[in-house]
Amino acid sequence: MSDKVKLNTTKSEIKEKGDAWVLIWPRVGDERGSHRHTYGLLTPYFKGLTEGRLMGTLCTNPGCPISKGKGEIWLPPRADCPDCHAKMEWAEVKNPAGYVYAYTFVERGGTGLEIECPYYQIDVKLPGVCTIVKGWLVNRDKKVKIGDKVKARFRTGADATNTCLDLYWELV
Amino acid sequence: MIKFGKSNLRAPKWSRPVYLVAAGMSDFRKQYPEKKLEELTMMAFKMLLEENDLKMDPLEVKGLINFACYGEFADHFQDQLLCEAKVHDYLGLDPLFNIGIKTGGATGGSTILAAASTVAAGLSDCTLALGWERMDEVITWTGNYYISTAACKDFETRLARNYASYYAPMARRFQEMYGVDERIRAEIAVKNRGYACHSPFSQSPGKHTVDEVLAGDIVSDPLRFLECCVMSVGSAGVLLCSEELAYKLTDNPVKLYTAGGSHTLRTGDRRPMQIPLLPNETASDYEKLYADMEKQDGRWPGFESFAATRFAAYLTYKMAGIENPIEDLDFVETHDAFTISDLQTYGDIGLTLYGQEQEYIKSGDCYLKNPHTGKPGKCPSNLSGGLLGSMHAVGATGIFSCSEVFWQLQGKYDKFHGDPKMWERFGKKKPADWESLQVANPKRGLYVSHAGVGSHVTTGVLEKAW
Repeated sequence: MSDKVKLNTTKSEIKEKGDAWVLIWPRVGDERGSHRHTYGLLTPYFKGLTEGRLMGTLCTNPGCPISKGKGEIWLPPRADCPDCHAKMEWAEVKNPAGYVYAYTFVERGGTGLEIECPYYQIDVKLPGVCTIVKGWLVNRDKKVKIGDKVKARFRTGADATNTCLDLYWELV
Repeated sequence: MIKFGKSNLRAPKWSRPVYLVAAGMSDFRKQYPEKKLEELTMMAFKMLLEENDLKMDPLEVKGLINFACYGEFADHFQDQLLCEAKVHDYLGLDPLFNIGIKTGGATGGSTILAAASTVAAGLSDCTLALGWERMDEVITWTGNYYISTAACKDFETRLARNYASYYAPMARRFQEMYGVDERIRAEIAVKNRGYACHSPFSQSPGKHTVDEVLAGDIVSDPLRFLECCVMSVGSAGVLLCSEELAYKLTDNPVKLYTAGGSHTLRTGDRRPMQIPLLPNETASDYEKLYADMEKQDGRWPGFESFAATRFAAYLTYKMAGIENPIEDLDFVETHDAFTISDLQTYGDIGLTLYGQEQEYIKSGDCYLKNPHTGKPGKCPSNLSGGLLGSMHAVGATGIFSCSEVFWQLQGKYDKFHGDPKMWERFGKKKPADWESLQVANPKRGLYVSHAGVGSHVTTGVLEKAW
């Protein structure tokens, strides 16, 4: 080490806008600048997708003012019931199928979008599920409308992304 | 079904009334390399102190401030944590205490709510509420990604990384449920961008036609480019104070009432509930709506309406004694980030019944001059140009809307929008066909400050108090 402090950096690129200097200012560098995000108690949901299973949660607490112990399934799942705060139970949605409740055709997404544009982003209503699930549709060669029937597909094994993208939908 | 507990619908009761005495703002631009963020907040602060006809010297007014509340939407955009401390220091307000407020797109309104609470509770006699956003450090599509992190990170953000794509399904559902003609949505874009032509603060003024809006590129079906607001840079502030101080500072004080509501971040998680009725509504008004909804597997608020806005209005109207919004309010500023969110809001705030929002636009009552009758519209909206035409520097937005309502009530639309020097200040020339959009003798106006796909909303009623 020398006795004088040195800088370990490179020259910042400058663009002049009128009299002002505008610097190119990278916010995050290599992988050391990345976040480590946990799925916490919802891990069974994401793990389930990679195994071709759609897992939801439901409240079975008879004392719950809303579910009275016979709750519908939440998708996305929650570990704790928002109405009585009891721990929710896991349940598999068998042969998940529903219909298009709302949709948009995404022509262009923001930086980092992993789905190839254009595509349909759809909100799916499933029987026995109290929420409406947002996802992506694999078909894009046919005009979609509200009410179209869809079934769930999964990216499993080597194809899995380990994200919500592992659940997608196909027109029936 | 969500059910309210006994005290959930209690209206706020402030310990003492809160007044608004001054407002200020920078102009708004897509890019603003000429000034640093703090320098933009100083523009707003100086206008607030120096140009509101206060009866004291600007530095004397500054000497009355006890507290500051600052609104900033996203640390991502500024790439600076504790930006509040930088701004506070730059405005020369140390060592007074300040707090930062963050509720997404509703940040501006929440900042006013927090500031009002300090005065109402006696924590402060005079509080500054000031907000800002600098969205030009990143390219537009990275900005879109940043904003889309206000969708659910685990289950939604990766599905578009573009916020318009979370609004678009609501537009689609609303359109099909109520048989909305897309020309109605386009008309909203034309109106608000047209009003923006008369404001020197505006970023996206334009004289467009309905056909031009509909012929534009689609951002996320069915929303076209001119139906979406843009990235923005700028700042806005208001000064709130006690009754005693308000009348010492100005001959034209304005009384403020504000409250908020919230709802799930993910639209699909909104379970059905009964509509909280406003004073002008009865349960029978909605018997048909509930029946129609059932036929289409619909629910309230579903994808069609904003329970947070309804809840905020429900409380604010109780505070302000609003019995019938369309009669009691002279004009409004909605949070028109998208044409669809403007349209949805008219039912939420009770200017019309739910399900009749389209007819409300068709009636022409949302114009300063009703295009069908040539007479004044009953309740003009977004004379400022709104978010579509003027700005959406997110942390400043609710404060901008509030400021425009304030100046209208003081009869100062022309002072702040019609002076050629104001246009020159921002490097613009006052248009030869400039028109005054001053509402005739207004008594009360309302602003809406709205986040996400309706996750947080505040409404504020401003009332002439002289």
